[in-house]
Amino acid sequence: MDNQTPRRALVLEDDEDIRGLLVQILTMEGFEVLEAGTAKQGMEAVRQGVDLITLDLNLPDGDGIDVCREIRLVSDAYVLMITARTEEIQRLTGLETGADDYLSKPFSPRELVARINSLFRRQKSQTDSDAASRDELDRASMVQKSLLPGQTLGLPGYEMAGRFQPSRAVGGDFYDWYAAPHGLHLTVADAMGKGMGAALIAATVRAVMRSASAEPNLDTAFAAASRALESDLEQSGSFVTAFHARLHADDGTLKYIDAGHGLALHIKANGNNVRLPSCGPPIGAWPGQSWATANVSLEPGDTLAVVSDGLLDIFDDVDEFSEAVATVIEDSASTRAACDAVASMTNGAAVSDDVTVVLISRNRREPLSA
Amino acid sequence: MQFSIEQRERYTEVSGKGRLNMVTAPLLREVVAQAVGDGRTRIVLNLGEIIFMDSSGLGALIGCLKVARQAGGDLRIACVQPQVKMVLELTSMHRVLAPHPTVEEAFGND
Repeated sequence: MDNQTPRRALVLEDDEDIRGLLVQILTMEGFEVLEAGTAKQGMEAVRQGVDLITLDLNLPDGDGIDVCREIRLVSDAYVLMITARTEEIQRLTGLETGADDYLSKPFSPRELVARINSLFRRQKSQTDSDAASRDELDRASMVQKSLLPGQTLGLPGYEMAGRFQPSRAVGGDFYDWYAAPHGLHLTVADAMGKGMGAALIAATVRAVMRSASAEPNLDTAFAAASRALESDLEQSGSFVTAFHARLHADDGTLKYIDAGHGLALHIKANGNNVRLPSCGPPIGAWPGQSWATANVSLEPGDTLAVVSDGLLDIFDDVDEFSEAVATVIEDSASTRAACDAVASMTNGAAVSDDVTVVLISRNRREPLSA
Repeated sequence: MQFSIEQRERYTEVSGKGRLNMVTAPLLREVVAQAVGDGRTRIVLNLGEIIFMDSSGLGALIGCLKVARQAGGDLRIACVQPQVKMVLELTSMHRVLAPHPTVEEAFGND
């Protein structure tokens, strides 16, 4: 709170004597005081901007509860509701009036001042804790970004690009890639929900998937990782869709397991595109699942695109989505540009979910020199 | 969103209207948990007026299915709209939660 500008109070009270008393007390407390005897005048004053409102429950032209709700639509001011009877406070506190505190008549000036000071102390600590949680969220967002892989692995013959746009400060999507003996491992995953809870799950999934990477066989690596995750996901009532693949760079063989993700596209050099079907439900969704490994061959000029379902929201169905994504990729000059173009397909649309896009393109064969 | 519960002869029908997402999914979980807690473990979810479901919504369907099965009953879904059907198919969850064309057919002769 800025102590340089005087705090403004509004006394909304139809009894002239009480109004005069309230104005006097508040003025002595350093408030600049506006006064009103009717709900109508009161609302006009509220719109001028005030920090505190004392509101009489019984106004000649309106019920104080309705007035309070109306105030709440236009103002965050602290509202102290004043009633004629103590018994009424019991009833009022059970209602969603929007008032911050209640006081019954007759009240002593000292009691009024104590209430007001306590309201403003609460407001101060609220503002401080808001700032603290914003700070923490900023840091969480930075940490989550730092868990994304570097933009390229420098894998000869391939180009890759990734984008992650959380709908809030942090999100439940992530992508990860790292070098492996014959090429690379790739994971694109989406934890249920949004925000901090989903982000914590996402970070766990990333770590567990990485820890299984030394296992030579994709099947057993994925089975071990998903078993390790299942109980955590069960505990939190969550699940994760995942596309996990191993690329053999020499011949372009991509072995993958799709656990309920369903949004990987194989875009061929000739322009045809095939959506890779998922191999089973998401991890943690249903007990006792196993997933079969599938294969796809990335020929020179082919692209693998793995997208999260946030992007799907702007299309009517998955075929329309596949076609649109493939077209955008084909029309782009580079893998990086294609990735950015796909991610920006949501621009201007009301997308409320996290959006992730990962592309891996195998370079076209160099024309043979004469 | 409000979910309504109607007791049919052989099952309990739960229906809602609108979007099944992070905000409304907990309400569905609550309604079904309460029904199952009351001993109504055969549940048909009428999704005829659910026009959108996100991952939290799917999580609620799965959670409700688990609750019903653990209590010795079952939960089945009916009248599934296109977007919800798409989510079920993409995630392969239609293998676990098969959509039924009508509420009456959901339990068939089971």
